[in-house]
Amino acid sequence: MKKLILTFALSFLWISLSMASDPAFEKAMKKQIIAMDQIANAEQSKEVANGFLRIAEAKSEEWLPLYYAGLIHIEAAFRFEVNKDQYLDQALKYIEQVEKLAPANSELTALKGYAIMGKISLDPASRGQNLSPQAMQLFGKAINLDRENPRALYLMAQMEYGMAQFFGSGTDKACGMVRLSLELFEKEESIINEDYILPKWGKRSAQQMMNNCN
Amino acid sequence: MRTLIIFIFFFLSLSTISFSQTKISGKVLDEKKKGLPGVNVLIKGSYDGSTSKEDGSFEFETEVEGPQVLVFQLMGFKSIEIAIHCEGNAIQIPDQILVEAITEMNAVTISAGAMEASDEKKSVILRPIDIVTTPSAMGDIVGAFQTLPGTSTVGNDGRLFVRGGDASEVGIYIDGMRVGNAYGSTAGNVPTRTRFNPNLFKGTFFSTGGYSAEYGQALSSALALNTKDLSIRSQGDLSIMSVGGGYAHTLSSEKQSLTFSANYFDLKPYQSLVKQNFDWERAPNGWDIELSAQKKLAKGGLWKILARKESGGMEIWQPEPGQEGRGQLIRLKNKYSFAQSNWKNAFENGWTLFAGAALSSNFDDIHIDSIRLERKNQLAHGKFTATKDFSDRLSMNTGLEYFNHQFDESLVDLNFSRDYVDHQFYLFTEWDYYLNKNLVFRAGLRAGKSSLNKEQWLDPRASLAYKISETSQVSFAAGSFSQMPVENLRVLNQALNNTESNHLILNYLLQRDGITFRAEGFYKGYENLVVFEGYPQKPQNPTNLGKGYAQGVDIFFRDRKSIKNTDYWITYSFVDSKRQFDQYKSEVQPSFAPKHNFSVVAKHFILDFKSQLGISFSMNDGYPYHNPNDGEEMSSKTESFQSLSFSWSYLPKPNLIIHFGVNNVLGRENVFGYRFAQQANSQGVFESIPSGLVAPRFLFLGIFLTLSKDKNANQLNNL
Repeated sequence: MKKLILTFALSFLWISLSMASDPAFEKAMKKQIIAMDQIANAEQSKEVANGFLRIAEAKSEEWLPLYYAGLIHIEAAFRFEVNKDQYLDQALKYIEQVEKLAPANSELTALKGYAIMGKISLDPASRGQNLSPQAMQLFGKAINLDRENPRALYLMAQMEYGMAQFFGSGTDKACGMVRLSLELFEKEESIINEDYILPKWGKRSAQQMMNNCN
Repeated sequence: MRTLIIFIFFFLSLSTISFSQTKISGKVLDEKKKGLPGVNVLIKGSYDGSTSKEDGSFEFETEVEGPQVLVFQLMGFKSIEIAIHCEGNAIQIPDQILVEAITEMNAVTISAGAMEASDEKKSVILRPIDIVTTPSAMGDIVGAFQTLPGTSTVGNDGRLFVRGGDASEVGIYIDGMRVGNAYGSTAGNVPTRTRFNPNLFKGTFFSTGGYSAEYGQALSSALALNTKDLSIRSQGDLSIMSVGGGYAHTLSSEKQSLTFSANYFDLKPYQSLVKQNFDWERAPNGWDIELSAQKKLAKGGLWKILARKESGGMEIWQPEPGQEGRGQLIRLKNKYSFAQSNWKNAFENGWTLFAGAALSSNFDDIHIDSIRLERKNQLAHGKFTATKDFSDRLSMNTGLEYFNHQFDESLVDLNFSRDYVDHQFYLFTEWDYYLNKNLVFRAGLRAGKSSLNKEQWLDPRASLAYKISETSQVSFAAGSFSQMPVENLRVLNQALNNTESNHLILNYLLQRDGITFRAEGFYKGYENLVVFEGYPQKPQNPTNLGKGYAQGVDIFFRDRKSIKNTDYWITYSFVDSKRQFDQYKSEVQPSFAPKHNFSVVAKHFILDFKSQLGISFSMNDGYPYHNPNDGEEMSSKTESFQSLSFSWSYLPKPNLIIHFGVNNVLGRENVFGYRFAQQANSQGVFESIPSGLVAPRFLFLGIFLTLSKDKNANQLNNL
């Protein structure tokens, strides 16, 4: 009996070790992340998203594959001629699916806000009133969960910038935030190596926004 | 169990160490046998797979061996899984056909009779924000719906009149729960408003006929208001208006939110500044307090509470035709409370359960000169519904309802009173079946039973919708509707049966980005309407012997796109209605059913001035009225009603709104009918007084300030 328990314990240990660092998973993720940076049209966007969905299907305990699938859908809605509402809804679906796996995750929370920002942009006049506070709240929550998350701060700055423009008030606050986000992006870059599979996007857009500030 | 899984996992991990490659290829098609690109083809549990190309073909290699599951996934389509066996040889998969999933986004919806105000759904005629920004509505929910097809404006009443039906034929619901006395009590031709603030609601569903079996006790129309879910932030809202003021405070956390509000209004200062047509002894005044709370429950349910209490009154001199002096003094005091609580939970197995309870209680104390009349009306409503999606094609909505209706009226000084109590039970079921995403059938049945008149009845309803193209659809609806007579008639004859109507509706809807066109034709037959002897103020011997019909066409066009920063809609409704009801001896065109009704609403946003300008114009061809000097019943007609309204909303800061509005800008002297003397004068003529507007114009100025001590806001300030 003891021996049996020991065998189980050992095999369990082995499995949890193998999960902590799963080279096949990381390899697959890295391949898709590289492909993600090359997306130039809706078809490629679909292909890469499908790649992440395949990983998600195989590794249902990981939040990152669906995070990236969601991100690609949001970006596609902003960049390409697709059924934008459908893409954004699908992104929200992926995010909500993994929220249970990674509750109180700053990156996921910020991404959800990003998707809602996309929904607002499709019909600001009628959706803005209801959805803007939701997006702001999610960015605020994401910042709270991880004060080092440059994306949460950059997205919040985007929202602030839009509102400041609409109401004709100063963009100082928004610009201050994007400047801070750029500092956080720098900080993040210092720890990025070739094995880094966590979210690292957003710096280029933040820089573009910074250009408008100066 | 857990250990077993670990074992399997263990051996599976071992078994993956092998290197033979299997090539898998094939083709994915849609229902029309056309190649389907973008499909994710994958082997379950591995990272291997590919995306189908433009022609639907796919090809990839995998290292996994043995029996495997091949999955085909595409957003908007139903996934399929097939079993394969990988052993190093190339596998040619037979053509796979993916079927489009029927979802809310792509499926046809039944639009006959229905108009929805929602942010979420695509098929909307009105957006929630339109309710507050329609100039003629002055912030009243029903006021905004009066610019929609199928309605007529009755300026000395204020309530909603739909397709030749009187105002009692519109059933008003909050979160599916019936609201009793939803309009403020009023007297002497002073128009009323809905009691509830539009800000409470996230969406509304307004039907002008052929509606769901979930709604009963309404012959013409159902207006369903859905309250907001959790408030997103804690805030205070202060309003200062030319007619009063109020404050609302919201407390919110992730799991629950609570809003408390208190308002006071008094038209006295306003009326002392602006000339009135009516002879006021005491201007309308009142207060209300309201509490609403929402709570997310542990198992995914949402629990809501809404409670409101209000009190108000007015005193007005009503001149009597053919008599000198100020006429009758009418004094009205009203107390009203409404409370409801409901719970809803969507379970993962496809069942959604709803349970709710509501109580409306209204008390009117009316003095007409020296006569004192007290009226109590109380409606309790309990409801339980279960909905289930059996598949993406078949869904069901079934429910049970109980109503307890108590009515009591008494002449206090004469020690005379009469009352009734009615218990009503309902059972309804409704089934939707999608033949495909372009064609849906709905069939419903509503059974009712009343304890007061021992009546039992059954109302069958059916509708269908067919999508002609991506942007247009037709729908058809038919059904029977039953409604108990109004309280003051029912109390006279407690054996009165349901009044009945039958609807036939054909609808065409075209929606292209920013443009909506809707045309609807209808026929509505009325049976068992109540007729009585005497006159409306003093009915006698009511019976179910009346009948009638209404038929017509209405057209709606909305354009949010063609003119930059401008949104406008145009409505025309034609109603041909005749009915024998109330005191009339023959079928007549009712005073509340003008034949030609037209309205246009336009809103223009001026970004530079952070302002929204609104203008609305309504007209009809005049209201029929009965002139006793003329032999025939209801053979006279007033002049055309026309009213132009204007509004200006200014947003200097995100949290400050200044709103200014004027109704009937041109000051046109609209007349809604005439009141005639009961007796002819010495020349044998019945003298009359026109029923007109309370004042030539109504002006409104409001300042709305939101104070939020948002944690996020604080945080940002610190950055």
